[in-house]
Amino acid sequence: MKLPATSSSKAPVKPTADNLVPIRLDIETEGQRYKDAFTWNPSDPDSEVVVFAKRTVRDLKLPPQFITQIAQSIQTQLTEFRSYEGQDMYTAEKIVPIKLDLRVNHTLIKDHFLWDLNNYESDPEEFARTFCNDMGIEDPEVGPAVAFAIREQLYEIAIQSVASAREIKISKKGRRGAEHAISSKGGGNALDLMKLFRYNSSVVRKRKEWYVYEPIVDILSNEEVDALEAREDRNTR
Amino acid sequence: MAAKSPVKEPPGTSAVNPTTPLAPPPVKPELPSSSEPDVVNVPSYSRWFSFDSISECEVKFLPEFFDSRSPSKNPRVYRYYRDSIVKHYRENPSRKITFTDVRRTLVGDVGSIRRVFDFLETWGLINYFASVKTLKWEDKETKSSAASAESSSALKETSKRLCNGCKTLCTIACFACDKYDLTLCARCYVRGNHRVGVSSSDFRRVEISEEARSDWTEKETLQLLEAIMHFGDDWRKVAQHVSGKSEKDCITHFIKLPFGQEFICKESDSEDVDNKFFSINNPSDAVSESENVGATSPSKRMRLTPLADASNPIMAQAAFLSALAGVEIAEVAARAAVTTLSDVDDRASKGSLMRNTRQQEAGVASNGDATQNALARASVDASSLIEKEELDVEKAISGIVEVQVRKILGHFFCHIQL
Repeated sequence: MKLPATSSSKAPVKPTADNLVPIRLDIETEGQRYKDAFTWNPSDPDSEVVVFAKRTVRDLKLPPQFITQIAQSIQTQLTEFRSYEGQDMYTAEKIVPIKLDLRVNHTLIKDHFLWDLNNYESDPEEFARTFCNDMGIEDPEVGPAVAFAIREQLYEIAIQSVASAREIKISKKGRRGAEHAISSKGGGNALDLMKLFRYNSSVVRKRKEWYVYEPIVDILSNEEVDALEAREDRNTR
Repeated sequence: MAAKSPVKEPPGTSAVNPTTPLAPPPVKPELPSSSEPDVVNVPSYSRWFSFDSISECEVKFLPEFFDSRSPSKNPRVYRYYRDSIVKHYRENPSRKITFTDVRRTLVGDVGSIRRVFDFLETWGLINYFASVKTLKWEDKETKSSAASAESSSALKETSKRLCNGCKTLCTIACFACDKYDLTLCARCYVRGNHRVGVSSSDFRRVEISEEARSDWTEKETLQLLEAIMHFGDDWRKVAQHVSGKSEKDCITHFIKLPFGQEFICKESDSEDVDNKFFSINNPSDAVSESENVGATSPSKRMRLTPLADASNPIMAQAAFLSALAGVEIAEVAARAAVTTLSDVDDRASKGSLMRNTRQQEAGVASNGDATQNALARASVDASSLIEKEELDVEKAISGIVEVQVRKILGHFFCHIQL
């Protein structure tokens, strides 16, 4: 699954070795709201979707109308993912910053780090597990949320690069012109490695920049959680 | 994945309570790494489980983690899922954990987590409660059927029987409970290693060979006929064409098919007897001399009763007895009986002859005693009647046998002609 990425390659290129789809669910029926986020393996057969929906509804004791809605939502997101899956993705040297800013129950997490899109061995799940271990996070629900957040952002980036690759193909600027466009477009989000690893700079981060990249894990009290939740709800409505 | 989903049952360990299925399950303290003072129940068929290793069972049922086809699924990840789920459950063994609880705490894709969860649940490593509740059964039944449906469709089609209790292949004989669709091997049945609430009497003994033979669906019969049309006498090819039946099964089923009776016999009642005889033949073969534990096959019982309306009562009796005993045994018995009868008869007739002669002498001596002559005549008559009876019985039995043989031949010939 480790395929070299060139702008003209037709083989499916993936940001990670195993492309798991981040699925977000937010369904409201009959006054009950169900919010969830998890990762799904797209190579699972579609029959799994219904099985999962039924299982979740049963476990959470939701009314049965949720089954079809959940299944549909998952299916839509999967199909959308699949439409991007086989596409060309422009990935030259691409190190992207990933920001984590999430709250899971009582744990607040803020983090900022760089992710190498070209390295398919990077595993968001592994990162999440190690993160939780290292930071001594007790709440077991944090791990999946972190992995999910990373995947979501990678997914966004992948979509953008597919879109930009398409644009480049469409635009008929000619080869050299296209390359030029690529280098300027592709580097929109990514850091230019050349700039980063100039001969006169070291790989070690400057001290004043440490705080930007430092992970922050906060345990909130109940009131703070309630306040935050209220604010989130207001934002989404 | 090959599996037949195991059934939730109280553990039937070999040491304790082998026969009473309703005995309270012996408690099994699990694993050295557990620091809890209380013990966790684990069913006996899952005693392979260990936190330190991965057993063959797990590799077989969850191959996705072990075939290196997916980079995010490997044994390490599997152990992470498995150990977390089991530990999560064991924090509070009396509470049933749901899949959703668990997957929210595990980093990974929900599909694989669900499969691991289902696997652990069907094997009683999590959510294993010794208490008997019918609702729980239905729950687990649907779960296990879901699990089995996705994983074992291949295995279900074969005619081999896997024991629900110990997951081994049933050899010689097994015990089937149709009410709950269970199959147990002889050992598990004896040990009472089945679901609580299912009693031993619900099981019927089933010979493996009979099972396969009697298990003919319409589709299979159709395949058989097609194959015979194509391949004629080549039973090997026929058996190949019919899925899941051996050559012998094909042949026996074929001759059992209700085919062109008119070719063979004009007499209706001998035909009837013949039919019934034939259909009885099978189960009577199946009843072996070794343990006949529990109830006899109800189908066999049913098939025996139609004999009652055979016209000749003596023939009916003879046919019934010979059916019970089986063809060869009946033949041998008949032959023995006939020979003994003839011996006795000879002796009797000799005796009666001697008596007769003596009587006659006496009669002559007593100058023709009429009653004594009558007695002598009566005894001669009786002996001849006995002879006639024995001949009748002999004829009947040989007639039956002959008809059978003719029927078999008739099947073959008429089919070859086709």
